Amino acid sequence: MSDTPILTIRNLHGKVADEDIEILHGVDLEIGRGEIHAIMGPNGSGKSTLAKTLSGHPGYEATDGEVIFEGEDLLEQEPDERSQSGLFLAFQYPVEIPGVSIANFLRTALQARLDEDEELDLFDFQDQLLSRMELLDMDPTFAERAVNDGFSGGEKKRNEILQMAMLQPKLALMDETDSGLDIDALQVVAHGVNALAKENPEMSFLIITHYQRLLNYIRPDHVHVMVGGRIVRSGGPEVAEELEASGYESFKPAAAG
Amino acid sequence: MAESTKIQEPIGGIMEGVTEALNADAVEALAGGEPVWLAERRREAWSAYERTPLPTTRLEEWRYTDLRRKLKLDSLRRGEWAERTFDRSGAPERLVQAMDADRAASGHLVEFDGAVAHVDLLEELAAKGVTLTPLRKAISEQGELLESLLATEALPASAGKFQALNAALWTDGVLLHVPRGVRLELPVRVTRWFSAESAGAAHFSRTLIIAEEGSQVSYVDEVLSDDLPAQTLISSAVEVFARPSAQVQYVSLQRLGRGAFHLSQQRTLAERDSTLDTLNVSLGASTARLDLNARLLGPGANSDMLGLYFGDEDQHFDHNTSQDHVAPHANSDLLYKGALDGDARAVFRGIIKVHPGAQQTDAYQTNRNLLLSEEARADSLPNLEIEADDVRCSHGATVGQLDQDSLFYLMSRGMPRSVAERLVVMGFLGEVLSRLPLGGVVEKISGIVEEKLHG
Repeated sequence: MSDTPILTIRNLHGKVADEDIEILHGVDLEIGRGEIHAIMGPNGSGKSTLAKTLSGHPGYEATDGEVIFEGEDLLEQEPDERSQSGLFLAFQYPVEIPGVSIANFLRTALQARLDEDEELDLFDFQDQLLSRMELLDMDPTFAERAVNDGFSGGEKKRNEILQMAMLQPKLALMDETDSGLDIDALQVVAHGVNALAKENPEMSFLIITHYQRLLNYIRPDHVHVMVGGRIVRSGGPEVAEELEASGYESFKPAAAG
Repeated sequence: MAESTKIQEPIGGIMEGVTEALNADAVEALAGGEPVWLAERRREAWSAYERTPLPTTRLEEWRYTDLRRKLKLDSLRRGEWAERTFDRSGAPERLVQAMDADRAASGHLVEFDGAVAHVDLLEELAAKGVTLTPLRKAISEQGELLESLLATEALPASAGKFQALNAALWTDGVLLHVPRGVRLELPVRVTRWFSAESAGAAHFSRTLIIAEEGSQVSYVDEVLSDDLPAQTLISSAVEVFARPSAQVQYVSLQRLGRGAFHLSQQRTLAERDSTLDTLNVSLGASTARLDLNARLLGPGANSDMLGLYFGDEDQHFDHNTSQDHVAPHANSDLLYKGALDGDARAVFRGIIKVHPGAQQTDAYQTNRNLLLSEEARADSLPNLEIEADDVRCSHGATVGQLDQDSLFYLMSRGMPRSVAERLVVMGFLGEVLSRLPLGGVVEKISGIVEEKLHG
């Protein structure tokens, strides 16, 4: 089993649900177990559309192609089913849920994974929450705050990482998690990803980013460049360095050709 | 019938709402054995009722609730008062559950079909002079107190058509008197149950709470029933006095079944340096109308006014509030939040009135509604009437839909849509409960709201 990829994307086309303009023009990508992939691309290249289409955001629609996750057709599944089968999306813009504490939110998310007649063990939950927060260097009182309500940019991203640590997905999509973060917050995110990757060597990551700087802290196995709704270049970590040096300009002809 | 001929001929005035069951004979049947002051008070109230026309939707206060269409006064019989005792083993399951959900209390009172069936009060509190007693019994035992405060300063018959009707026809209720300086650590719990036998009738009950200077008390009134097979009018008149420096929390939890038409008319009087907070939770009944008038009568008085409602199917809630700042240097802060599903509808109409001379008033008013379906509707009408120049007042109202981004965020963490919706709604309504410092009560209400959300 562990030889089969966790995620296979074939010729994926996609668009914003209410519009006719196609944004993804045939994306192909394969992610193996335990691999860390990065997709880099300029604004408007379709990176975020890919992340949202994969996670089932109702505002986005796949118009062609297929996505196999854990041997199942991902595009047929509701967002909650995708999450329960092991997919996690760290949001670029996490949403505020006033009046709902992080602890309650996580408890509800974990309870939803159990059978209807099964009750989440609250002591185990509490233990796990505390140990995950310790792993991520978080203050225990953080979990009592309402989800993202009045959070700084850095706190929101920390919260995403905590959720990821608690839900233990098989594949985490990180949608521009580094955008708008200062260097301290960036290190927190990177530390979280690295700690989880170390703890669970089977866990895979797809890191979507505009900048190379996050990749200074998280070492990807594979780097893909996305331009104009397609992956135009794939390679090892050296691709990121190449981009850093020459920018996205040099990749545009490849997209056109 | 001779009587019905008589009542159909108005004598020099309006007699709308006078029916086979609700008429002068009904008043006399009650007044018969009562002290003169009370009999007279009932007759005067009845006369005010007769003289006042039934509200129409042309009146601003009733614009969104067509009373003539919604309340079939002609079909109602009179709720009869009968001697009752409360037998726990034979009590309806829902009543027992409601009572067990939060038992810790300074005292309990149980009303059954409009008649008090049980009262208990901690001995140490009785020894300190606290009175918790059926209103009917208080006529003889606390005559002087009732004569001066029942339907006089707070909620007199002149307050409106239905205030008058209640003052004329009340059959029972509660008197709670907390003497000077006495502090009750646990709430007083009142449970009022309406059985299927009570269906089709009009029931009138009153609550009179007096917290003397420096005393402290919280009071939880829970009114509930199963679904009722015929329209049933349940009228509750509530008068609360917070004397100087007293601290009072009044909570009303309405969980009536469909078929019930609930009229809750409350007036709170907060004197110097007192705190008089209210929470009104509306979950049940087919139609529920709340008239709450908070009067800030002394400097330093403070009233937090909280409201929470969740309607589904064709439920109709109408909240009509006023914050009357008579004295300077007083605060009031109102927060009403509601969620509506199905065809449910809610109206909020609130006014902050700052009387001349009420300088340094701080008064705020917020109403927020969350619509969970295309058909649900909420109308919010906040208002200010300010006759002083040195005040801080604000009002705000919102009506919004469930945010799709929030739902997606929760679903992307593995919660099915229904669970995600419940969590967002509970978070939205939770803000109201988080402002009430009554642990057991909050937990209970929270559980009941969640239960209703589960459908």
